[in-house]
Amino acid sequence: MIKSSNVKITGAEYGLILVVLLLVLMGLLAIYSVSYQVELPVLKANFTRQILWFFISVVILVFAVIIPTRAYQASAFWLYFITIIFLILTLVLNQGSSVTRWITIGPMRFQPSEFAKIGVILALARYLSHEKRNLNKLKDIAISFGIVLLPFLLVAKQPDLGTALVFLAVILPVLFWAGMPSFFLLLIVAPLIVMIASLNYYTYFLAMILIAVALLFFKRGLFSSILIMILNIVVGIVTPILWNHLHEYQKHRILTFLGIEMDPHGLGYQVIQSKVAIGSGGFWGKGILKGTQTQLRFLPEQHTDFVFSVIGEELGFIGSLFVMILFLILLLRGIYIASKVRNKFSSLMVIGAIAILGFHIIVNIGMTVGVMPVTGLPLPFLSYGGSFLIVCMILTGIIINASIRRFKY
Amino acid sequence: MQPIMIISRKQYLYSISVILIFLVLIVRFFYLQIYKQAQYLRASEKNRIREVVIEPTRGLIIDRNGEVLVDNHPSYSVYVIPFEVKDADSVLDLAGQILSMESSEIKNIINHGRSSIFTPVKLKRQIDFITLSRIEEQKLDLPGIIYQIEPRRYYSSGVRAPHVFGYLGEITRQELNQIEFKGFRLGDIVGKKGLERFYEKELRGLRGYQYIEVDALGREIRKLKDKPEILPLPGKNLHLTIDAQLQYALEARMDTLKGGAVVIDCTNGEVLALVSKPDYDPEIFTKPISLETWKELINDPDKPLYDRMVQSLYPPGSTYKLVLAAAALESGIIKPNWKAFCPGYTWLGRKRYDCWNLSGHGELDLYGAIEQSCNVYFYKLGLKTRLDNWAKFSQLFLFDKPTGIDLIDEKSGQVPDRDYLDQQYGKDRWTEGMILNLSIGQGDLLVTPLQMVRLAMIIANEGICYSLHLLNYLEDPIDGTKHWAVSDSVRINGISPETYKILKQGMYRVTHGGQGTGRAAVYKDITMAGKTGTAENPHGEAHAWFIGYAPADKPKIAFCILVENGGSGGKVAAPIAREVIKNYFYRLKVNRDKI
Repeated sequence: MIKSSNVKITGAEYGLILVVLLLVLMGLLAIYSVSYQVELPVLKANFTRQILWFFISVVILVFAVIIPTRAYQASAFWLYFITIIFLILTLVLNQGSSVTRWITIGPMRFQPSEFAKIGVILALARYLSHEKRNLNKLKDIAISFGIVLLPFLLVAKQPDLGTALVFLAVILPVLFWAGMPSFFLLLIVAPLIVMIASLNYYTYFLAMILIAVALLFFKRGLFSSILIMILNIVVGIVTPILWNHLHEYQKHRILTFLGIEMDPHGLGYQVIQSKVAIGSGGFWGKGILKGTQTQLRFLPEQHTDFVFSVIGEELGFIGSLFVMILFLILLLRGIYIASKVRNKFSSLMVIGAIAILGFHIIVNIGMTVGVMPVTGLPLPFLSYGGSFLIVCMILTGIIINASIRRFKY
Repeated sequence: MQPIMIISRKQYLYSISVILIFLVLIVRFFYLQIYKQAQYLRASEKNRIREVVIEPTRGLIIDRNGEVLVDNHPSYSVYVIPFEVKDADSVLDLAGQILSMESSEIKNIINHGRSSIFTPVKLKRQIDFITLSRIEEQKLDLPGIIYQIEPRRYYSSGVRAPHVFGYLGEITRQELNQIEFKGFRLGDIVGKKGLERFYEKELRGLRGYQYIEVDALGREIRKLKDKPEILPLPGKNLHLTIDAQLQYALEARMDTLKGGAVVIDCTNGEVLALVSKPDYDPEIFTKPISLETWKELINDPDKPLYDRMVQSLYPPGSTYKLVLAAAALESGIIKPNWKAFCPGYTWLGRKRYDCWNLSGHGELDLYGAIEQSCNVYFYKLGLKTRLDNWAKFSQLFLFDKPTGIDLIDEKSGQVPDRDYLDQQYGKDRWTEGMILNLSIGQGDLLVTPLQMVRLAMIIANEGICYSLHLLNYLEDPIDGTKHWAVSDSVRINGISPETYKILKQGMYRVTHGGQGTGRAAVYKDITMAGKTGTAENPHGEAHAWFIGYAPADKPKIAFCILVENGGSGGKVAAPIAREVIKNYFYRLKVNRDKI
């Protein structure tokens, strides 16, 4: 199929494809179970539509594998700018309406924010793989941040904070992988930790000690260490003051988003019902089509965001474990490939893809069992939705693309 | 490109981070699906299973001869299913028109009463047949308006006895907090008064449950197969000691009067008839009672809701002379042949006390004084006997204790003793005149008619007192097992048979003696003994009393008749006692002759 001395498809790649196919099948099973109810034709159509999307996405996966890596590299910035333009178009075209996530072209309706994920990882990989980049320099780090901040802001404006956070989640793993010193990681992460820790005296105190220890470890000179320390102390003092200036409903919204506070009518209701569905599944599950939470619609968003709860209820701990092991294989294999690929662009592209998939998986599954906030992030390969399935397949294609060409520079 | 070593170190770092996070998630799944499974399974079952209560049939109330006095009849209640009321306004307007309710009122009921849009909300209880047929006719224009059959009480025998039966009503918030009504909900119907209240637990039965699977919107999906319904257990039938014919006859006889009558079997304490007048039609409480009707009943100056036999206190008048006579005899103060002269009045200090017969009774012994109910004799006897003895024997005859009849809100009498009078009027501020009043059953002495019939029973039985009861036995309607009422008896200690004989002789002369005040009570050849009373009261005419028992030689029944503001006991109350004797013994004789 692909003929080149450096291009070789081995069993490992087929294994990866099998993993993805199994995941999609699990998703289809769950969507079938959800759309089983005869009386709701709208839901029934979901299953057939998702099968259609599956076939389309497999074709796209094949293309994503075949396209030479050079082509990705060459078009990286172009693709990035096109997705940015689409994001701006989304905002402009949907002005005045409350739901502004989709663009409709003829019979097609798609979510530009999904495709922006690909644009972002390609642009980041392209930018950071340039030989002149020096990640000890603040300027190069700042530009990398700029690459993700632009789509972040555009998507957050839609407003779709959950998806927007995906862009932020990509930047640190990719930068660190590209060689950013861990000291910078500390600089970026420390204030975020302090912000959250400062809501309580003890955690605030503990966070400051940890930062001080880390600073001693890095030995970056007395002046800069003290400066960083003072900065973090100030963040810790200012945050509670700002917090107290917020209105009650704003605080409530933030706490609910973080999952610290429960709102039994809104998002809290969804999480409670999801936990009941998963918990009541037990070890073996209630059986396909026999999950009462699913079949009687106590479970919200069951074919999209909470699709994993359907598996948890109907297939039990065994089914959940099976899906999680599939995901784990995908992620670990991706990280392995990223470390083995000789081309730096490819390596960074793969890590970016893994970061996006991993963030979705962890946040979504964490949400269904109530340990992560309800952000509205779908579950890769399983959740209903054409745009997202195609994007996940492209990301898989990127990983396999790099894998089969890993000996090429 | 970085050296391979650094990359592979990062590979481990990234892989281990991912594995750790996945481990946390897997542990979380283990916690939810294995450790906490039972709890979440319960929660999911609770989500999907709706428990529907099936009300049991309430027990019937039946007289001693098997005649059904309180029955169940079907009635129709109208419900609305909010979800099915499509074109809300026009449907609710039409429904309101038929049910004569404002459509805003209906909306209000729906908003307050609904638990889900698929659950029926009760709009109106017990609609009449015209309303029912109008709903049936316009069914097509009334989507979501349904009716259901519900039993209601029905009084078929013609016996009213509303105070005995009591009535049912919606449970109050206050009652909901009581342990007895655990698991009840607002809108449930429970016994409120009388036997319906006293035997609520027995009459009610046990509820059944039906389990229905519902979806997240509360729609019924199907009956559960894996959780079979629990059938309700019907309430026990209440077999009373009441004799419906006697009850009916007495109710008819006293219809225009105020007061009441109680007839008991003095050999066991069974209540044969218990009438309180004026009463109300028990049917009015089988429907949701209107505010106007309720206010009318509450504000009626004749107080028809009050059970005069059980809840009201009256001065006993001359009937209480029997207690003074017993006290004087037992304390050895007089012998029955002790005589006193009645000129029609007597003086105490500068105050004159009249006999009811102002021309005087002349010289009388105790028998004569009871027969003619001479006040002057008893004034003198009271002064000799003194307050402490009188109070002691009042308590011995249980006038400070209720009879313990199986009805709610029974009152106990008020027996003034030295402490009471000291407290009421100040120490030593009350005079001997007080004793004169008490001697003829006036003054601060108050009793219930039930206590008076108990006195008649104690004398008839020469000291044996049975607890009064209306329940004969409870009958399980399914297997017919009977649970008999336990009849307690106590012996009154401290009064000798001789004293009872004297009292009985006196009471015999009341009805059979030449000068007896209660001769009007005698019917044909049935011998009897009794005592009249004409209790003066500040609120109008005197209350007419008559207590007694029959037959005189071998007492079977005891009775107490009271006519509020009726006047003379001998003229007003005694003829009603005659009615009792006639109805009870004549019917008994006829029945015996038949056999």
